[in-house]
Amino acid sequence: MGKKISRRKFLKVGATAGATAALVAGCSSDLRPYRRSLEPPLRSPEEALPGEAVWYASTCGQCPSGCGIVVRVIEGRARKIEGNPEHPLNRGRLCARGQAGLQALYNPDRFPSPVRQSSRGSRDFQAVYWDDALDLLAGKLKEADPQSVAFLGGVMSDNLFDLASRFMKGTGAAPPVVFDLLSALEGRTTLAAASKALFGVPALPVFDVGQAEVVFSFGANFLETWLSPVYYGRSFGNMRRGRLRGRGYLVQFEPRMSMTAASADEWVPVKPGTEGLVAQAIGKIVAERRKAANVAGLYKDVVVGDVADASGVSAEQLGKLARIFDTVDHALAIPGGALAGRNNGLEATLAVQALNVVAGNLGQPGGLSLSPDVPSESLVTASVPASYADVQALIERMKAGQVQVLMVHGANPVFELPKASGFREALGQVPFVVSFAPFADETAVQADLVLPDHTYLESWGYRLVAAGGDRPVVSAQQPAVQPLYDTRSTAEVLLNLAQRLGGSAAKALPWKSVREHLQSAIGPLQALPGGNLHAASTDAFIEEWQSHGGWWTTQEKSGAPGASKEVLSSTLVVPNADFAGDAQKFPFHLLPYPSILLSDGRGANQPFLQEAPDPMTTVAWNNWVEINPKTAAKLKVTTGDIVKVTSPQGEIELSVYVYPGIRPDTVAIPVGQGHSDYGRFAQGRGSNVMDLLAPLTEKAGGALAWAATRVKITPTGRKATPMLARTESAEGVERGFRDAENPG
Amino acid sequence: MSKESRSAPRPAEPDQALALEMRPGILSDQLLLDPRPVGDMNRYIMEAMQRTGKGFWILVAILASLVLIGYGGAWGYQVRWGMGVAGIRRPVFWGLYIANFVFWIGISHSGTFISAVLRVFKAEFRRPITRGSEMMTTFSLIVAGLFPLIHLGRTWRFYWMIPYFNQRQLWPNFHSPLMWDMMAIFTYLTGSTLYLYLPLIPDMAMARNITTGWRKRVYGTLALGWRGSESEWHHLKTAIKIFAFVIMPVMFSVHTIVSWDFGMTLVEGWHSTIFGPYFVTGAIFSGVSAVITVLLIVRKTMKLDYFLRPEHFDALGKLILVFSFAWTYFWFAEFITEWYGGEPVISALIHMQARGPVAVLWYTMLFFNIVVPWSTLWNRRIRRSTTAMLLITIGINIGMYLERYIIVATFLTKGRMPFNWGIYNPSIVELLISIGALSLFALLYVVASRLIPLVPVWEVQEGQLSHSLRPIGRALVPSVVDLE
Amino acid sequence: MSSPTENHHWTMIIDLDRCTGCQACVVACHVENNVTYVGEEEVAMGRFMHWLLIQRYWGGEYPNMQARFSPIPCQQCKEAPCEPVCPVYATYHSEQEMLNIQVYNRCIGVRFCANNCPYKVRVFNWFNPQNPEPLDQMLNPDVTVRSRGVIEKCTFCIHRIRRAEEDARYEGRPVRDGEVQPACVQACPPEAFVFGDRNDPESRVAKMAESRRGFRLLDDVGTVPEVVYLKRGVTDVEGI
Repeated sequence: MGKKISRRKFLKVGATAGATAALVAGCSSDLRPYRRSLEPPLRSPEEALPGEAVWYASTCGQCPSGCGIVVRVIEGRARKIEGNPEHPLNRGRLCARGQAGLQALYNPDRFPSPVRQSSRGSRDFQAVYWDDALDLLAGKLKEADPQSVAFLGGVMSDNLFDLASRFMKGTGAAPPVVFDLLSALEGRTTLAAASKALFGVPALPVFDVGQAEVVFSFGANFLETWLSPVYYGRSFGNMRRGRLRGRGYLVQFEPRMSMTAASADEWVPVKPGTEGLVAQAIGKIVAERRKAANVAGLYKDVVVGDVADASGVSAEQLGKLARIFDTVDHALAIPGGALAGRNNGLEATLAVQALNVVAGNLGQPGGLSLSPDVPSESLVTASVPASYADVQALIERMKAGQVQVLMVHGANPVFELPKASGFREALGQVPFVVSFAPFADETAVQADLVLPDHTYLESWGYRLVAAGGDRPVVSAQQPAVQPLYDTRSTAEVLLNLAQRLGGSAAKALPWKSVREHLQSAIGPLQALPGGNLHAASTDAFIEEWQSHGGWWTTQEKSGAPGASKEVLSSTLVVPNADFAGDAQKFPFHLLPYPSILLSDGRGANQPFLQEAPDPMTTVAWNNWVEINPKTAAKLKVTTGDIVKVTSPQGEIELSVYVYPGIRPDTVAIPVGQGHSDYGRFAQGRGSNVMDLLAPLTEKAGGALAWAATRVKITPTGRKATPMLARTESAEGVERGFRDAENPG
Repeated sequence: MSKESRSAPRPAEPDQALALEMRPGILSDQLLLDPRPVGDMNRYIMEAMQRTGKGFWILVAILASLVLIGYGGAWGYQVRWGMGVAGIRRPVFWGLYIANFVFWIGISHSGTFISAVLRVFKAEFRRPITRGSEMMTTFSLIVAGLFPLIHLGRTWRFYWMIPYFNQRQLWPNFHSPLMWDMMAIFTYLTGSTLYLYLPLIPDMAMARNITTGWRKRVYGTLALGWRGSESEWHHLKTAIKIFAFVIMPVMFSVHTIVSWDFGMTLVEGWHSTIFGPYFVTGAIFSGVSAVITVLLIVRKTMKLDYFLRPEHFDALGKLILVFSFAWTYFWFAEFITEWYGGEPVISALIHMQARGPVAVLWYTMLFFNIVVPWSTLWNRRIRRSTTAMLLITIGINIGMYLERYIIVATFLTKGRMPFNWGIYNPSIVELLISIGALSLFALLYVVASRLIPLVPVWEVQEGQLSHSLRPIGRALVPSVVDLE
Repeated sequence: MSSPTENHHWTMIIDLDRCTGCQACVVACHVENNVTYVGEEEVAMGRFMHWLLIQRYWGGEYPNMQARFSPIPCQQCKEAPCEPVCPVYATYHSEQEMLNIQVYNRCIGVRFCANNCPYKVRVFNWFNPQNPEPLDQMLNPDVTVRSRGVIEKCTFCIHRIRRAEEDARYEGRPVRDGEVQPACVQACPPEAFVFGDRNDPESRVAKMAESRRGFRLLDDVGTVPEVVYLKRGVTDVEGI
């Protein structure tokens, strides 16, 4: 048996191995048709010792939060992804989606090479050579007016965002529009806008749940998908059984009992759209109890009784909750999720943030802080994506024929944007569409040319951790395995294109390789004080950076925000939320929510994520509409019945799941299923709730108001076939609550 | 031949002539009081054996194809693709196969019980029916014994359950009730086959003497040179007597051990001390009923009405009525204690039987196993009606099959963790194999009925020799000479 | 052999107060142990293969609803009901780790163990596992890929235990507390799982197992599980 090496040494081995892999990856730009043969042992790389694992530190790309991972590689194949124990964001922990990442890498439905499509939507993909494909694209870019070239990005590593921005700038085009559905469902833009209004910085807030005693969460499903679920999951564990303080108390305010609400001590099913009002009422009571002068103006117009009437939370309960919030020293309020998904999202978010001001926890342990600044000017981040309004503007341009070439990377707008946004139709007006998707997703199917990117486990990059970071973190991304297919990283493609285009584009992107660009971006970090890495030379620093999975400060360092006195002294009015659809005709509020496993649909092609049951409903491989038992009884439907869900914008059919934890006037549908393409595991499962949404925006910030549509439910009289797949026994769980707490 | 001289036709005695005058029907009514020349009886039985008309071959063809579909097709498919083609699923890991297994083991109790127990207690009505029921024992054991193999996830490794020397010194686990089961079944199969064979020897000799050609050679071999000498008869009778006593505990043990596959577990509803006697009683109940069904069919198709008479079905009818009482007693004792206990999972199981999805099966079982026998079998005319008996006994076996199914498959649907409850519906593969099993049993029986005398002629003759009618006063009284 | 591998008492603590039900453990287990997926129809039939299932129970009625999660891996019972019933010794208690072992290549698939498991944590390979190329490349070489017809179940990631023991033996020291982490324990974001050697009185599990919140699943059945659950608590923050 060979000598075992400690984890730390593994990481170091990872560095050298990473360099080797870089060399190999660097050579891969020549034409290399997909081939499947065993490498003779003589040529096998140094680190590929049979039976010995090599660990590569990298960054997870399954969602935008950027957890550190280590990938266990044996004989050149990635076998397991684990959390990077050094990484300050997740400290060795990893969520279900992160664990399943190998199935993105080894997905059987990846594009093995660049492809062209004779006609859009035909799915008749013809393999082409990279040179030809790049010539084609370069030709189109040269032909087109620079103003008419657009780049639509989604979840991408920040180095790519940097390159894409520079590329667009260099060619004289508009900067990339970054929009992905998960970020929209998290309410990132609204959160940043609220920070801007209240604290003067458009940064994402960070909540120190771990050290709080009482946490009031207004719609933020921070244990599932919100901003950084692993960070908040860790914090939640600490709040519950941390050694610092007593067992924390979590109250969740939302119309549907999410998994976070299930883990909470109290769930308050407020009327959709009134979360901000509830926060204000609580704030008013607390401010009065504390005789807080600094926020007196804020709550001038708030009448607790009116809020109780509007929200369905009794004045007595509001008083009780306010007392709880007031009693403890470390109270915390979190805005997020559906709260931001309405047209009063910004005001509601501000109302919740004001609670933190009232609690006096800004910058305190167990309080609110802002995500740290970008540590070096050489780095660029896209952590706050474009608002939906920007996307709408792009769609308008496309419709008007002002976009000649559209490049789509890391997003799947055909699937992710509301059908009513008209993106699909607008796409038809664009003469040339390029997709960089590794999989045949709905947008790639509508593209003329697909230049498949590597998956995140095959590519280089860095990512700034914005959400949930208690310190600046520049997370490293390096290939864990050699590219499986004849794919090419989009960063490399952009560099190549810039060379082909020449001129200002080539000047804007002077680097020869992705790695060179990385060096220029990461190198300056070496000079910063308080970092975790120590190296003699820049090259050594970069290697350290890769082998440890990133650079971060050893001390916690996050912005202590100062609240704007102007905002606090002026009256904050949370307007009534508007909902699309007539309340008589469409009696139910529709609450879409990101699936903890499939997130915004990105995970739908990974069978482990499909197979793992949804925590609340235990349903696998499908989606459903959650209906309160009383409402279901009125509609005469039960679990497994198929109903038609109709909104003013469209209709879909779904199986019913009778869900005891939802308001009777609300129905909820998880986002993520309903793919028409995207591979064998995703296709033809359930329906896409985005087809129902009205393309409303939040008034002030322009974010997508995704929780502001009303629907009606019509039974079809049919049953789901095959039966709605779930791991629970419907009959059994009705009687079994006692057993879960104390079986036997 | 000495045997023939032993059972030479007796001239009608004056007493019997008188008896005929007094009660004209009595001679045709009772087999043992209706002696025929022994040559006639032998010919009678041999002719029935050699009658193979078109209908017979069609039946064989149908049965053989059903066997082929079940075992070759469905089982082969299952072995190729995996157990998943059956309907079993978590938490019901045992389904129709095990229910079939228990059922067929139950059927196998018929022969031994009728033959051994009745022989030991000298119940005279047993004489013409022992052979037919002993054959059922052997054949149903073969059918039953296949089911655990079908049920295995990796059938091709079944021999790992057999203790054999191997270089890795791996032995089966003798703690497992399944091992006890396997040993009990093998013992029982061996014992009952021998017990079938021993009384067959004189009949083989008889057949050897009558037949010609290949049959003569086969029967000659099987007759082991039987000549019918006094000492041969003595040894045979001693051997049969010993076997009759030995096979009885084996019979009781077999179904008790089968019941321990369930009783020894932690499964709610299975873990019961009463399962041993409950299963044995049920087994004899269904076994004897199956004997009646089979003999009624045999009697009709092979025209054996001389040997198999209403009196036999009358007697067997009383027997199953008694066992219906006994089964009911055990069932009720089991049910009432479980019900009274009020343990939550058990309550759920009882609720499922009484009002839930299993209710149809459960009430059908109670109807066929209790209501029907209790309301009909007290009546002598019904017991003597072949049609009625056929329907009643088929009903009982449906009821008993449902009982096995309910215990095996539906009790598994609800365990201690309510989250894991489930449902079970047999798949087409399981049904085809079950039909194949029934066909295999029928096929074996049909083929054997043309090769083995279904009625032990010598036993009947022996009985007839020992029975006579004697007038006492104005009444005729059957008198029995104990030959042993 | 006086090895540091002797006399371990591997115990898992599952703190229900921390568990959020997020399924990270479930997927981690799938990846680590080559547990296959079965697809919608098979899941609907109840033939899912999760070695660890998070059971969710509802309680109360709207609006005073509660939902509770309990992750159920193999309880590694000391008095395991699955062991005596196996006719071929495919499941037994290992002498070294004192864990309940499932020997895949000895299993012939009678499924008696699965019936007799009161926790229903044993799963059966109804069909061969699905690994369409190139998904097969992610299979963990430390763990056997099971064929159709055999039972499988949680092993406490025994290959990781073995590896840690080997490391310790090589370095001539006892296994450190926290050195062995099954995949589920390692993944869990809120750290609801703790794993360790209860024979070491200083270990976290030894201390946590004594918690007043501790209980064992179906304790009355007498299986003596090695998984200790800590039940959900109530807040002890002053004033609430």
